[in-house]
Amino acid sequence: MGVKHKTIRPARTSRHDRSGGGEGSRSGAPLARSHDVSRARPLPAADTLLRMLYLLKLTREVEVRIERVLYRQGKIVGGVYVGRGQEAIGVASAIQLVEGDFVLPSHRDLSAYLARGIPLERVLLNWMGRADAPSRGRDNTLHFGDLNKGIIPIVSPLGDTCPVACGLALQFKLRGKRNVALVYFGEGATSRGDVHEAMNFAAVMKLPVIFICNNNGYAYSTPVQKQYAVKDLWRRGPAYGMPGESVDGNDVYAVYSAHQRAIERARKGEGPSFVECKTFRMTGHSAHDAAEYVPAALFKEWEDKDPITRLQSDLLQRRLMTPEALATLHESVRKEVDEAVARAEARPLPDGESANEGVYCGPDCWWGQTRSQAFDV
Amino acid sequence: MAAKVIMPQMGESVAEGTIVRWIKKVGERVERDEPLLEISTDKVDAEIPSPAGGTLSRILVKENETVEVNTVLAEIDGEAPDEGAGASVAGPAQPVVSKPAVPEAPPTAEAARRIRSSPLVRRLAKEHQIDLTRVQGTGEAGRISKNDIEAYLASAKAERPAPEGTAPSLPVPPSSAGAPAAFTGPTQRVPMTPMRRQIAERMVTSKRISAHVSTFFEVEMTRVAETLVQAGAEFERRNGIKLTYTPFFVRAAVQALKQFPIVNSSLDGENIIYKRDINIGVAVALETGLIVPVIKRADEKNFLGIARALRDLADRARSKRLSVDDVQEGTFTITNPGIFGSLLGTPIIHQPQVAIMGVGAVEKRPVVRNDAIAIRPMVYLSLSFDHRVLDGALADQFMAHIKVALENWDESVL
Amino acid sequence: MPILTHLEAIRQGIGEEMERDSSVFLLGEDIGVYGGAFKVTEGMLEKFGAERVIDTPISESAIVGAAVGAALVGMRPVVEMQFMDFIACAFDQIVNMAAKIHYRWGAKVPMVIRGPSGAGVHGGPYHSQSNEMWFVHTPGLKVVVPSTAYDAKGLIKAAIRDDNPVIFYEHKYLYRRVKDEVPLEDYVVPIGQAILRREGTDIAVITYGAMVWTALEAAAQLEKEGISLEVLDLRSLLPYDEEAILASVRKCSKVILLHEDTRIGGMAGELAAVIAEKAFDDLDGPIVRVTAPDTPVPFSPPLEDHFLPNARKLAEAARKLASY
Repeated sequence: MGVKHKTIRPARTSRHDRSGGGEGSRSGAPLARSHDVSRARPLPAADTLLRMLYLLKLTREVEVRIERVLYRQGKIVGGVYVGRGQEAIGVASAIQLVEGDFVLPSHRDLSAYLARGIPLERVLLNWMGRADAPSRGRDNTLHFGDLNKGIIPIVSPLGDTCPVACGLALQFKLRGKRNVALVYFGEGATSRGDVHEAMNFAAVMKLPVIFICNNNGYAYSTPVQKQYAVKDLWRRGPAYGMPGESVDGNDVYAVYSAHQRAIERARKGEGPSFVECKTFRMTGHSAHDAAEYVPAALFKEWEDKDPITRLQSDLLQRRLMTPEALATLHESVRKEVDEAVARAEARPLPDGESANEGVYCGPDCWWGQTRSQAFDV
Repeated sequence: MAAKVIMPQMGESVAEGTIVRWIKKVGERVERDEPLLEISTDKVDAEIPSPAGGTLSRILVKENETVEVNTVLAEIDGEAPDEGAGASVAGPAQPVVSKPAVPEAPPTAEAARRIRSSPLVRRLAKEHQIDLTRVQGTGEAGRISKNDIEAYLASAKAERPAPEGTAPSLPVPPSSAGAPAAFTGPTQRVPMTPMRRQIAERMVTSKRISAHVSTFFEVEMTRVAETLVQAGAEFERRNGIKLTYTPFFVRAAVQALKQFPIVNSSLDGENIIYKRDINIGVAVALETGLIVPVIKRADEKNFLGIARALRDLADRARSKRLSVDDVQEGTFTITNPGIFGSLLGTPIIHQPQVAIMGVGAVEKRPVVRNDAIAIRPMVYLSLSFDHRVLDGALADQFMAHIKVALENWDESVL
Repeated sequence: MPILTHLEAIRQGIGEEMERDSSVFLLGEDIGVYGGAFKVTEGMLEKFGAERVIDTPISESAIVGAAVGAALVGMRPVVEMQFMDFIACAFDQIVNMAAKIHYRWGAKVPMVIRGPSGAGVHGGPYHSQSNEMWFVHTPGLKVVVPSTAYDAKGLIKAAIRDDNPVIFYEHKYLYRRVKDEVPLEDYVVPIGQAILRREGTDIAVITYGAMVWTALEAAAQLEKEGISLEVLDLRSLLPYDEEAILASVRKCSKVILLHEDTRIGGMAGELAAVIAEKAFDDLDGPIVRVTAPDTPVPFSPPLEDHFLPNARKLAEAARKLASY
C-alpha cells in the first residue's frame, strides 16, 4: 500500500501521499506489490538524481516541441505519440543499465532512448524523416534501434518486442554475461498473446528480462476496465512464476527502486520480473486525438502528480539543487532542444530513389554503423 | 576411323524411322554411296546409301526396330578417307539450297524471327494469311503492331480481292477422304495419320509464309493432242512408257523457267535465291495422301528423259520406294487436279518455292476460231505464285510462254 | 440520391445489415465509445447497444478466434482491425482456423474482417501496408477491395451476407476523399464481379482499390495525347472476375496491371499469368506491371512518393506501351 516508499524516501509531495495513487481510476488505485522482493534500498546518489532530472526535462521539452510545435508546423508528419507524464519510467529504469544491457522501449518511451545516450538530434532526424536519420526516413517516431546503445525499437503491433527480449536474454545467459533486457509495453499490450507467451517463456528459462508495464490508463480510447479483469497487473508476474510489483510510475524513486531489485535479481541469474508502473497518459492517443473520452478530472488529478515537478521539489527541498541551478538547467535544456531542432531541420530529406535500398543485408549494408561492438554482432 | 550411319530426317516433321532391311552384313565391304540399308518412315520408304567407303563394322539397330532420327544405326570402318569423306558422318538428309546466284543471306526462319511483332499480330497474320515481311512496322524498333497489321489488311482489301476465297485444290485421292468404317455415335474422332498431319502443317505454313496469288490461262492442246496420237504408240513401243500429257507440261514449264529464272527461285529474308538447276516436283496422289517427287535437273533432260523420270518417280512413289533425295530440292512444282476432272485449281505453293502450276483436265470445248465456233482440246492452267517475289505481269508472261510452247508444239517426242 | 463518403457508405452498409439481421454484431478495438480509429463505427454503440458493438482488449487473435466461434453458432460477426497491418497478429486464426473450417468439416463461417489499409498518409511501415495478397493466397477466404462509396456499401453488405469469411480492405486514403451517390434502397454488389470504370481502346488498365482513381486520373491525362485507357476495377481479388479481365485484354490487346501492393507475389503476377495462359494470342505487347517496389512502405514523404504508384508513373508506362 505504498508504505515502503515512506521508509526509503525522505521527501514526497503531500498530495501524492494523501491520494495514495488516486481514487476513482484503476490506474490510480492504491499500489500493491508482491511479497517476494527485498525492500530496503539506498537512495540514488545525488549525481544520478540530477542526471535523471536533466533527462526528464529534456524528454519533456523535446516531446512538447514535437507535439505542439513541429507537428503543427507540418515539419513532422504522420502519427505523433508522446509520453508526457510518464517520463520517469524510462529514465529511472534505463539509467541503471550498463554496457551490453538492452532496452526495448515502447512508443512513448523516448526517456529510455535518452537515458541510453541517444543524441537528441538523431531522435529528431527520425521524427522528421531525414536522409541521415537512424532509419533513413524509412520509419518514423521512435521506430529505430541502435545496437551499440542497446536499443531495440518497437513495431506498431505493440507487445511484439516481448518475445524478442527473451531472445536477447537467452543469449546473455548462454554467453555467461550478466546483462539484462528491459522490455516496455503498455497495459493494452498485455492483452496480446505475444506478451503472455514471452512471460511464460522467460520464466521457464529463468531469463534476465524485466517486463515493464507502463500502465497509463488508456490504450487509445480503451480504459483499463475494458482491458483486463485483474485488480493490479503485478499479479501477472506470479501467475507465470516470476515476482510481480506495482509501483507509482510517476515517482522516480519508486521506479528506480523497483527496477534496482528486478535488475539485481536478473543479473544474479534468478530470472525475470514483472513491474507495473502506474502512470497516466497526459495526452490523447496521438496528436490528432482530443481524448474526449477521458474524464477531465483525471487529467487534473494526474497533472498534480507530474513526475518532474515532484522530483524538482524533492531536490530543492533536500537542497540537492538550488532554484538558480534549476532555472539554469531549464534554460540549457531548452537551448539544447532549440539547437537540435535547428540542426535536424537543416538536414535534407532523402532522395526518393533511395527507398529501394536496404531491404536486405548484404556486403555493402550501410546499417553496419549500428553494429554492436559489445556483442560482436 | 569409323563413320557413323544415322537415321536420316525424311522431311522436316518426320521424327522417326524403322529399319526395314540391312542390305549389307557386318564385316562386308561397302563403297561410299552404295545402298546400305532400307528404312521406312511415315512419308517414304528409302534406301540409305553408305556415308563412307569401308567395312560395315557394327550394326546398332536391328531390322524392324524404330528409332528417332539422328540415331546412330551403324558404323563403317574406313580406309584412308577419300575426298569429301573427311566429313564421314552422314548428316540427316537436309534440303540443300542450290548455289545461290546472289550473295549468301541468313536463312529464312531467322529472318522471320527477326520480324518483331506480337502474339496478336502473329495470330492475325495467320488468320489472314499475311506475310509479315510485307507489313511495315511502326512500333518500337520497327515492331509490327496490331494497328500496323490492321492498316495492312485494310489496304490489302482495297487493292485487290483476296484470292484465298477459293478452296485449295491439291488433289487428294478419294480413298483418303473416306469415313471410318463404323460410326458409334454422330461423330467419330479419328487421329490424322502422320502423313496427313504433315501435309496439313505444310499447307498452313505455306499459306502463312507466301503471299499467294493465282492466275489462269486457257491453252489449246490441239498440237499436243496430235503429237500424242501420232507418236504415242511408237513412243510406248520404243521406251516402254505410255505417253501422257504430263511430260509435255513439264517440258513446257522447264523451257519457261529457263526464260524466267526468277520463277525458279526462293526467298530468304530480303534476298532472292536463284537456282541453277531446274528441279520439277510433280505431285502424285497416293492412297494415304500426296507426295511430290522431284525430277532433278529437268533442264538437262530431253523429252524422253523427262517422261522416263516421271514414270520412274510415279512408280516408286506408289510402291513407297522413294528415297529421301527423291522428294527434296524441288525448285518448281506441277500438280494435276485434272486427272479427276477438275477444270482448274489454285494450288498451294510448295515451300520454299515461289510458284506452282496446276493443270486442269484436257477436254474438248467449243472455242471461237476465225469468228467461228470450233471444237478444240482445251486445258486450264493455273499458276499460284508468291507475290512477294513475282508480280502479276511476270507471272502472266511466264504462263504465256508455256501457253505458246504447248499451242505450237513442234518438238519431236521420239 | 444522397452523396456519401467512402467511409460513410461503409458505416451505412454495416448499419443497414445490423438492422436487417440481428445476428450481425461488431467486434474490435476502440470501435464503441470512440467509434473506431477512423470513426467508421461512430454512432453504432448508441444505436445498437454494447451487446452488438463490442469494444475488445488489444487481442487480435482472440477477436478473430471469437468471431469464428460466434459465426459457427449462427452469428455474423463483423470484426474491425484498427489497421490492416495488425491483421498479422490474427493471422493464425484467419488462415488456419476460419479459412479451412468449411473445407475440413462443412460448417459455415459467415464473418467479415474489415479495416483500413494502404499508404499515402505518411503512416510508415506499420500503418500503410497493402497486405491483401496474404489472404488471396489462402483458399477458403474471400478478399474484397472497393474503390467507390457505392461499391463500399454494396460490397460490405454482400460480405456480411456471405457465408464465408470475407476480408474487406478499406483504403484509408479514400475514406474521406471519395464521395459518390449511394442509394438508400437495399442493394448489394456481388463479390467476384469487376466493373469497367472507363471504356477505352488502346490499353486496359486492370486495378483495384485506391489505384482505380489513379488510373482514371492518368486516363484523363492520356486522352489528350490520343491514348485511350480502359480502366477495369476488380473490386474482388478472391474470387476475381476472369471473364471481365480477359474481355478487356482482348479488346485493347495491351494491358497494364496496376496496384499499390508490392511487386513480387502481387495480384498483378497472378493476373499476368492468367492473361498469358488464356489470352496470349490477343496480346499486342508485353504485359506491364505498375506496382510499388519490393520494399516495406517507407515513412519519409519523398520515399513514400517514390514507393507509391501514381498517375505520372502509370502514364509513363502507358505511353511506352502504346508506342511499343
